[in-house]
Amino acid sequence: MSELTSRPSLLPDFNAPAAVSYRRWRGIKDRAARHLMALGGISVLIAIILIAFYLLYVVLPMFRPAHIEVLVQYDLPGNPEESTVYYAIEEQHEIGLRASESGDLYFFKTAEGTLIKSVNLFEAHQDDITAFSAGDPTQGLLAFATGKGTVLLVQHRYRVTYPNDVRLITPAVEYPLENKPVVMDVNKNPIRLIAAQAEDNQVSIAAAVADVIIRLSTFSKETSLISDETTVQRVDATITMENPVIKMVMDIEQRELYVADNRGNISYFDISNKTAPRLVQKVHAVPDGTVITSLEFLAGGISILVGDSRGTITQWFPVRDQENNYTLQNIRNFRSLKAPVVTMAPDYSRKGFTAIDKQGYIGIYHTTAHRTVKKQRISEEPLTFVAVDPRGNAMLVEDSSQQLQFWQVENEHPEISWRSIWGKVWYESRQQPEYIWQSSSASNDFEPKFSLTPLAFGTLKAALYAMLFSIPLAILGAIYTAYFMNARMRAYVKPTIEMMGALPTVILGFLAGLWLAPFIEKNLPGVLMLMLLLPVTMLISAYLWQFLPKRMRQYIPEGWEAAILIPIILLAGVAAIALGRPVENLFFAGNMPLWLTNVVGINFDQRNSLVVGIAMGFAVIPTIFSISEDAIYGVPKQLTTGSLALGATPWQTMMGVVLLTASPGIFSAIMIGFGRAVGETMIVVMATGNTAIMDMNIFQGFRALSANIAVEMPESEVSSTHYRILFLAGLVLFAATFLFNTIAEIVRQRLRTKYSNL
Amino acid sequence: MQQSNTDSEHRTTAEHSRGENVVNDPNTPTHAMDLGSVVRARDQYHLAEEKICLSIRDFNLYYSDKQALKNINLDIPEKRVTAFIGPSGCGKSTLLRCFNRMNDLIDNVRIEGNIKLHEQDINENQINIAELRRRVGMVFQKPNPFPKSIYENVAYGLRIQGVKSRRTLDMAVEKSLRNAALWDEVADRLHDNALGLSGGQQQRLVIARAIAIEPEVMLLDEPASALDPISTLKIEELIYELKSKYTIVIVTHNMQQAARVSDYTAYMYIGELIEYSDTNTLFTNPKMKMTEDYITGRYG
Repeated sequence: MSELTSRPSLLPDFNAPAAVSYRRWRGIKDRAARHLMALGGISVLIAIILIAFYLLYVVLPMFRPAHIEVLVQYDLPGNPEESTVYYAIEEQHEIGLRASESGDLYFFKTAEGTLIKSVNLFEAHQDDITAFSAGDPTQGLLAFATGKGTVLLVQHRYRVTYPNDVRLITPAVEYPLENKPVVMDVNKNPIRLIAAQAEDNQVSIAAAVADVIIRLSTFSKETSLISDETTVQRVDATITMENPVIKMVMDIEQRELYVADNRGNISYFDISNKTAPRLVQKVHAVPDGTVITSLEFLAGGISILVGDSRGTITQWFPVRDQENNYTLQNIRNFRSLKAPVVTMAPDYSRKGFTAIDKQGYIGIYHTTAHRTVKKQRISEEPLTFVAVDPRGNAMLVEDSSQQLQFWQVENEHPEISWRSIWGKVWYESRQQPEYIWQSSSASNDFEPKFSLTPLAFGTLKAALYAMLFSIPLAILGAIYTAYFMNARMRAYVKPTIEMMGALPTVILGFLAGLWLAPFIEKNLPGVLMLMLLLPVTMLISAYLWQFLPKRMRQYIPEGWEAAILIPIILLAGVAAIALGRPVENLFFAGNMPLWLTNVVGINFDQRNSLVVGIAMGFAVIPTIFSISEDAIYGVPKQLTTGSLALGATPWQTMMGVVLLTASPGIFSAIMIGFGRAVGETMIVVMATGNTAIMDMNIFQGFRALSANIAVEMPESEVSSTHYRILFLAGLVLFAATFLFNTIAEIVRQRLRTKYSNL
Repeated sequence: MQQSNTDSEHRTTAEHSRGENVVNDPNTPTHAMDLGSVVRARDQYHLAEEKICLSIRDFNLYYSDKQALKNINLDIPEKRVTAFIGPSGCGKSTLLRCFNRMNDLIDNVRIEGNIKLHEQDINENQINIAELRRRVGMVFQKPNPFPKSIYENVAYGLRIQGVKSRRTLDMAVEKSLRNAALWDEVADRLHDNALGLSGGQQQRLVIARAIAIEPEVMLLDEPASALDPISTLKIEELIYELKSKYTIVIVTHNMQQAARVSDYTAYMYIGELIEYSDTNTLFTNPKMKMTEDYITGRYG
């Protein structure tokens, strides 16, 4: 004893070089580890923040207002004595066109206003021009009407060539009918108002030859199959109005004619039968005392825009009712201008338009989004004309001081507003406002329907059905495994279920889509019965267990009683499926999906929410099971023994103490499972059918946000509105999963502090 | 109010009856003092005159193949405090846990012999374990209140017995908390979380929870070993008061505590019961050499 205590210390001296260098090395390792860990943590944070910022960076331009900037201002090109009737800009916005009241067409360079070419249409005819109109801007059709009841139609076209690798745009004038005016009124009355359209081989002209008389003529070109001769067929009709007409527009397909009169009425004519135009409806479009000052078609020829003397612009289109009758309805109003609307220029290939008023204000609008993208006063003088280029990048504005301004326009995403993404929108040709996702179609003048609501709905629906399937299974399984199961059995069961979580979801997805979906369709009554039969069988077997002879029970090792359920469950499954066929024949006329559709009126899709619920349930069960099993297993033993020592049964202990203590853990398990279900992609892509419908019906599919991104991203044009809105969908998903995980984490942290002194 | 007055009077008398040194320093190492002075002056107890509550006969217990209790024969008298002392691992807690069959929760435990609670064999097949545990309450070494309110902790035992009446519960909670000498401290925060109480308060809450279901026997497994001296003192006072109503069996490492609170003491060593007698005799005049060595601090 004394020898041991009296010996010198076994430790090296504190100041020995070995001890000093060891301590230094230990310190370095400690610091390095600390910095490395901090670096790792901070990098993860930075990465997440960068992802969020990148998503925002792509998304935000959609919500920015348009930017317009005047590039140059010059005197009117051509003869300034003649007043202007029309302006146009070609696609590259290099060349502008000014049409004048005497029938002169002046092509000029938009950048400096210098004339390139001028064409005098009426030199030979010496007629005075009494009315003018332009057809659909994509066709470049111009109609000049004369005081002698004749009409001349011309089209302005541009040819692009690349001499010496430099782009050269050459304007040209073509005649859709012939190079001489057509007679609209044999009595040679002056034409007061005109509307004309030309498309394919058909030209229609509506001309008001007196205050209330409209002559309608249609010319159809037919090319003979034998010879190449073309013959032109002409059909005439006459419309008589009640009040003097002041504005008139015809759609590009020459089926509808809208006529505004001086009382503020709009008459809607169906002119698809060219010999018998039919008045469908006459609506009072503006309040009394207000005059219609401008009437234009929106691109696509479905909606009309009515500008009035109050500065209000209203959008109208024919809505079909139950009996297939069309009525013209006021869809939405734009009230941001305060002075009479002078004219409106619709965009060429989207549902926007530009309007000018008498106080020098210009307004850029989008109808679907119901959004005023820009409103700016650009002149002290009243504005007189506006024209936009086909791509929406430039515009020409003339004011009453005979100055022409050339503007640059940055207006990439006018179709996006909070309302158009989340709210109900009344799309063209629809019967009522709806939530629709329909991002593209073959036609250029299609109205894109960018409502994220059905997609968010689909995501929630998927998550909901998946949770409905997985929460009971996962949590009850976790309770049994953690609290009642024999420890050796638990050692097999828990890792097995956790291994399920490593299953790639694409496998679950194609199994669900290609095997489970047809299986359920074929065996629907069987599958539904299975869901009922399984729990009932389990309860019955548990009840019968106690009546089993003791000798038989001894064969099953203690705690393995649950294992004998496996063959029973398999048997019940086979029985349910086998029973399904006769049940289907007996009660559901041999085909339950068909019966559901025809008799109950519930649509049945093969790839439906039931399939997704089961497949996605499989994907989230391991997550929920594992976390809640840990939570239940982690309940301090002294609490369970404390409860048992008070005379509680194991079941009472579980319900009264264990679940209560584990409840925050179980809650966070559900939240994390929900977050996973919301973000899950492959299963919903492969097993849902991807139809963006809003319907809680379990037998119908849906389209989820994540699936939508996966399906459409490869086809969307970079930086287009569609592309950015897919990023917005990503941002919404990011925010949703972030929210759910944050809630789960907050609850878990609170649990940690609450039970830290257990 | 009446009740609490009587309580505090009672307590003062109890304090008086013990030595001053106990109040000042209850945790002084045992071997450094004369244990004879700790044993308070009191009536002499004689086992032969007692009514027996628990009787243990030829009791053996095995963990797998290892024998943890060897041929224990012991009678525990009713409405007395019986202490089990002995070095760590001697099986005193194991024996205690046999009385309410908490050992059932441990795998691979095998028992021989029998334990009778008022002439009823508690290891019989017909016995309802939950009912047995209601009759034989237990308090553990570490306070284990449930993560519920103070009120709900005490009401828990009644609720699992199916008591639903709010009035009954209110009354039972108050009575139990008063009996556990905790009422005055928590009366105004009955619905606060029990985990906010101090360790000593938590242990008294656990005792209140145990007595709420009116057990016949209270098993205390080192009830004060995780507590500070003041709390220990309060628990000991409580034990002293509770013995008028309950049979109390206490396991303790602290020989002073055994000497202070118990009427009978059993000394165990490696699974065997070495000596069992009334506390006065055991501490002042042990029959066995091993017992004397242990209580005078030669080993253990």
